[in-house]
Amino acid sequence: MKIVQQKEGSNESREKIALAAAMVHDVGHGPFSHAFETVGKRLGLKLADHEKMSDMLIRDGELADILKEMGSGFANDVADMIKKDGKQTLHNAVVSSQFDADRLDYMRRDRMMTGSQHSAIDLTWLLANLEIGDVPVGVDEAQVGTVPTFVIGPKAIQAAEAYVMGLFQLYPTIYFHKATRGAEKVFAELLVRIVELIQEGSLARVGLPENHPLVKFSRNPETIDTALALDDTVVWGALPLLQESSDPLLAEFSDRLLNRKLFKCIDIRTRVTHKIDPKNTRAEQAVDKIDRCCVNVIIKLQEWEQANKGDVPRLLTDQAERKPYKAGGGTSGPTEQINVRTDGGALIDLKQRSEVVSALSVFKLTRVYHSRKDTAVVTVINEIIDGEVK
Amino acid sequence: MSSFLIDEVTGIVRDAGGSVVGRTRLQKVAYLLTVTGLENNFQFSYKHYGPFSEQLASSAHLASLIGKLRERQDQTAWGGTYSTYTVDGADVIDHSSVRVRLASEAVKADSIELELAATAVFLFFDGYANPWEETARRKFEKSTPQRLANAQALLNKLKQIDVPKPLPQI
Repeated sequence: MKIVQQKEGSNESREKIALAAAMVHDVGHGPFSHAFETVGKRLGLKLADHEKMSDMLIRDGELADILKEMGSGFANDVADMIKKDGKQTLHNAVVSSQFDADRLDYMRRDRMMTGSQHSAIDLTWLLANLEIGDVPVGVDEAQVGTVPTFVIGPKAIQAAEAYVMGLFQLYPTIYFHKATRGAEKVFAELLVRIVELIQEGSLARVGLPENHPLVKFSRNPETIDTALALDDTVVWGALPLLQESSDPLLAEFSDRLLNRKLFKCIDIRTRVTHKIDPKNTRAEQAVDKIDRCCVNVIIKLQEWEQANKGDVPRLLTDQAERKPYKAGGGTSGPTEQINVRTDGGALIDLKQRSEVVSALSVFKLTRVYHSRKDTAVVTVINEIIDGEVK
Repeated sequence: MSSFLIDEVTGIVRDAGGSVVGRTRLQKVAYLLTVTGLENNFQFSYKHYGPFSEQLASSAHLASLIGKLRERQDQTAWGGTYSTYTVDGADVIDHSSVRVRLASEAVKADSIELELAATAVFLFFDGYANPWEETARRKFEKSTPQRLANAQALLNKLKQIDVPKPLPQI
């Protein structure tokens, strides 16, 4: 915020809104954060969407009462800034940009909490070299205008390289770690099953008491209080009860999570790449063929699982990718680049100044998880991969 | 059946005439088809760029990877990139079907105005009494008087099509 003040002068109102927005922007996350959102998407549960939940809590909940002490419209202004609604000022960049406070914080926090030694960034130097620039924004082929955001000065190119590389490396090593993703897959199946059973009136099969927060949420998923009552500890506490469930999936998967008996991972993309491009030439044709094979393998695995559907899933597929720059869901443009101010004053993409960054490709994962004991399904997986590569 | 909606996303592009310029256009055409009861495979939520379906976005991406949908990326004059989606088979679509009429009318619209119109519809169904006012407030930079007027005119044109679930009278 000091950088904003130095460049733009003081605007106490917007500064307070930005600080509050940075503090509360993730308040709506459910248990196990993004894994719970996966459950919500599969079942159409609006309040499992952390953005929706955060918005409601900030505008109307207990939190809103506190925020409103700052002024009658303060809570709505905070919620608007998080959603990028309303007039965009530089203060929005503190909350949402390539150098927003969230990213600069979680990169360091997640590194510390996981004990990782890589992905260190020179925060002091980055902040010392943050500048302000107006970058164009648009919708598809049409330009809307420009927005002010953070850019970096020419002396911080190496620090920015390390920042991009660090963030990029956190994905394969931490956020997309095969064990983490495998646990999230088991968690999602477990939660989907709980909600489905309760909603169809089969609470006795679940094994949770009537007043359990998961039961209340499943029955009233649109009520803010039932969603708010869910957190990590509620799920952890439910696992011993679910182990005694008469439903095979709940009994098995709760045991897997509680006792870390996770599914085993087969890295489809690595296997396919090894067969199609063993010397990793990354030739365009080879990359296209690998991508095509991976998607087709995932589709065939999912179709096999559907056709052989039993009480408990025998395989769980996983597919994700991460670009070197964090991308939004809208039209791609300069706000989704790291913009460097050159000595001549022009703004250019860091990729144009950094061979390291320009050489980065999209990180993609294509995996399938299965029970260690289920050797038959491993044969099926191998046959599908081999059949597709041919 | 897989969780990817490949045929569904290619079906939208086909019914829009076989070509959709821009990811935003694809999203808003799909949303308008959904809200009028002509498509029921995608869930939409509000983002600052209007109604958005993550499943639609990922299905389009995967469809292009396996060659069911062609996605070409071009540079814009303003420094961004935009995608053009094309599929084969648009020559045999039934131009009298309401789905084709709505999709092919919406896809011709300016993408900013289409986004404003789709957002106003979304906000109406989200309970806003004056969705145009709320759209203008939220999308401050995009909501010039001319664009809002054009977005309203676009919606009025789309309302002429006799769809299963009528567009709101806003």
